[in-house]
Amino acid sequence: MKVAYKHLISCIPSKPNIDEISERFFQLGHEHEIEDEIFNMELTPNRGDCLSVHGLVRDLAPFYEIDLTSDIYEKELKELELGFVNHAPEACSHISFLKIEIEGEIAAYRGKLKEYFKDLSINKNNFFTDISNYISYEMGQPTHCYDAKKISNLFSLEIIEEDKKFHTLLEKEVVIKGRNLVFLEDGNVINLAGVMGGKSTSCSTNTKSVIIECAHFNPEEIIGKSVKYDIKSDAAHKFERGIDPLCHEEVLRRFIQIVSDHVNIKNVEIYKDTFVDYTHFKIPFDANKISDILGISNDKKVFEEYLLKLGFNIVDNTIIVPSYRNDIKNLNDIAEEIARVIGYNNIPATSFQLPPANAVTDIKILEQNVKDFLIKNGFFEVINNPFVNIERDNAFKVDNPLDSNRQFIRTNLENSLVENLLYNERRQQDSIKLFEISDVYSTYSNLKNKKVLGIICSGRVGKNYLDFSKKINTKFIRNLMKKLSPKTSINPINIDRNSLNTKLKNEIVYLELELNSLNDLSSELESNQKKLPRENDFIKYSPVSEYPSSSRDLSFSIKNTDKFHEVQEYFLSYKSNLIKEIFIFDFYNNKKNNEIKIGFRIIFQSHQATITDYEINNVIKDIITYTNSIKGVTIPGMHKENH
Amino acid sequence: MSSFNDIQPPKLRQKLGAIHPINQVKDFLIDLLQDYGFTEVDGPEIESEEFNFDMLNIKKTHPARQMHDTFYVNNKTKVLRTHTSPVQIRSMLDSKPPLAITSAGKVFRKDDDATHLPMFHQVEGIYIDKQVTFSQLKDLIHQIIYAIFGQEIQIRFRPSYFPFTEPSAEVDILSENDKWLEVLGCGIVNPVVLENCNIDSNKYSGLAFGLGVERIAMLKYGVNDIRDFYKSNLDFLNQFK
Repeated sequence: MKVAYKHLISCIPSKPNIDEISERFFQLGHEHEIEDEIFNMELTPNRGDCLSVHGLVRDLAPFYEIDLTSDIYEKELKELELGFVNHAPEACSHISFLKIEIEGEIAAYRGKLKEYFKDLSINKNNFFTDISNYISYEMGQPTHCYDAKKISNLFSLEIIEEDKKFHTLLEKEVVIKGRNLVFLEDGNVINLAGVMGGKSTSCSTNTKSVIIECAHFNPEEIIGKSVKYDIKSDAAHKFERGIDPLCHEEVLRRFIQIVSDHVNIKNVEIYKDTFVDYTHFKIPFDANKISDILGISNDKKVFEEYLLKLGFNIVDNTIIVPSYRNDIKNLNDIAEEIARVIGYNNIPATSFQLPPANAVTDIKILEQNVKDFLIKNGFFEVINNPFVNIERDNAFKVDNPLDSNRQFIRTNLENSLVENLLYNERRQQDSIKLFEISDVYSTYSNLKNKKVLGIICSGRVGKNYLDFSKKINTKFIRNLMKKLSPKTSINPINIDRNSLNTKLKNEIVYLELELNSLNDLSSELESNQKKLPRENDFIKYSPVSEYPSSSRDLSFSIKNTDKFHEVQEYFLSYKSNLIKEIFIFDFYNNKKNNEIKIGFRIIFQSHQATITDYEINNVIKDIITYTNSIKGVTIPGMHKENH
Repeated sequence: MSSFNDIQPPKLRQKLGAIHPINQVKDFLIDLLQDYGFTEVDGPEIESEEFNFDMLNIKKTHPARQMHDTFYVNNKTKVLRTHTSPVQIRSMLDSKPPLAITSAGKVFRKDDDATHLPMFHQVEGIYIDKQVTFSQLKDLIHQIIYAIFGQEIQIRFRPSYFPFTEPSAEVDILSENDKWLEVLGCGIVNPVVLENCNIDSNKYSGLAFGLGVERIAMLKYGVNDIRDFYKSNLDFLNQFK
């Protein structure tokens, strides 16, 4: 909701500056941004009463003298005879209609009406709708204008449950379905109550006679309707949050006044109906309890002063809640009102300490130990969301899925982990070891969750010279898991690549088991020594490259043992922003021939673009120039230039 | 020159894997809260509407309960929990005060865009005892925020609205570029919720708070796109060793 600073301070005689108002709004819990002296308010959904200039200013009353008086039409009003029937009093407790007939030319907009359109750069519509919009902005009460020539005297408000076509005043055609609160005329919907009026009865620039509806709708009948029918509606936004049921006469008198400020009124009549008597909500004024909730000293007088300024009344030690505050239901709500005025940041903190927590559960310790073991063996943990497109008899079906590919809740982790593996294979990873620990659900188990461990791996066992040529297979996983839990039966499976979109041939090994089945962890693994967290333990992440990588291998023959460490160190500490990784993929000490063979794999990748051979060759040239300069170190098959 | 017999083979670099960064942050927060005296409790991700909404004073008409916000499953008989708060409801029903529990885990909302995911993680805590005050809540929140962001961080409390707490607050920290960023929601447990859990609200009161794990992780690691956490990209995961 946008509100001009200028319009707010027109109701505050002391004219506080914009920064001060902004600070007060934050103190009161009214988030906002400011642009060109316009507040863009983001109000919490419980504060429907603040969705207007007057509503916001009313909340500032504990800090400033405020003046919410506006010019209103004060003469007595004739009664309007209307054949309106309210068949839904439970959904609309109060409703009023005003009929105004005008004559002559409408003057150019003046006063606050003019400022509203100018200051907020709002497009004008027609005279009556413009006033209706302005009044909603000033006072918070939405009104709806029917062209009196287009509507008969006989119409009704009803809750219907049948499908009906409805043409909104903004030219949108919708079919309303299910339960809806509507105004009907001859069986046709002329207004989707609290959301938007219809085309057939809407006002235009030619309208000279208007019927203005001013109602209080039960928020429950309005909620969700504008989203359901995709109709943007300021009125619905307000009705959903609740508005003041007792403001109708003042609002309609204000309407007449603004009309009369611009054009001659030929006739004006009012129809008022109240179907449920309003009773103010009352709460016993217990200052001790309030100070207990907030943890501040009991100052009943100050509490009382704040509440009075916020529009509450206090009679016989009872707090009477104003009709516009439908969010106040108990003393905690009252305590919040007082805390907002004091300022949450001004309430002192009182030392808080608890006795020690209960011990961590066995399953948590088990989970932590399993994770630690897998991490030490080069596995990375992944987290997947549970939505899959695999229908199984025991899978929960999502009634309102995001799309058809995510309409079931997974009953195991296999599909998610296969996806993760393929994703990384497409990104040229040749040694992939992933695991996930997650709850899975099955309709068979009556909502009881099962905590499972899923492991998927494929490609090289590792990136060191002992593991480089070894390929992951089921034996690898079986041996590994035996080290973790010697007694557990481990049955990994091979995932068939034929059904997957991949040309690679490496075995995909998958293992899934219930975490609980790993209940006899090898005793040497169980450490569970957790260090206390520190806020500086977090790394600073640098974005990953989205460009392909390219690798080069360099193998050396070293006949001078003194230079062996120098070569290793040179490579392993070599830095270039084009290099993602360097590791030793081959090593052989041929003691008979007095020769060491060592191979380095260099993986190139740029953050800026796909890496070129030219860039790679430059780095390789730089490396070779250096290694060539070392006596006793050669690249087999490459002639060493003399320097 | 040393002998070839004396040459030590290159050190075998055992490449370590890593815990997922979201779980690292989650574990960090849980460890912290356990250290403060909160006992960790788990609960199901598929929940009843009663525990996910009704017991928490989230009325039938609340927008969060609409089909466009909450995932319903099993012919609308269950929901994917939209927060970890139902775990607290279960705990309050199961044990008598005083109680201090924390719950962490996956939660689900029907969102999927650049800044919202259908699944994310929360860590929440609740403490019920005699005379629990807003002023104590402030001290606890200060302790938590300082532990995460350091003692120098500037903190701001703003009134907010949650159906299950009253008074409710959102807590902002002042970022390096001088902007306030919301990091936590908290409040005094609404007496209606206590009564729903058969706890006498005249005798007991409580405080509750909740943090979004992804939000904290993004701030702490400097990850700008929340979706990066769930691509399972090894180049990404490899950084969080």
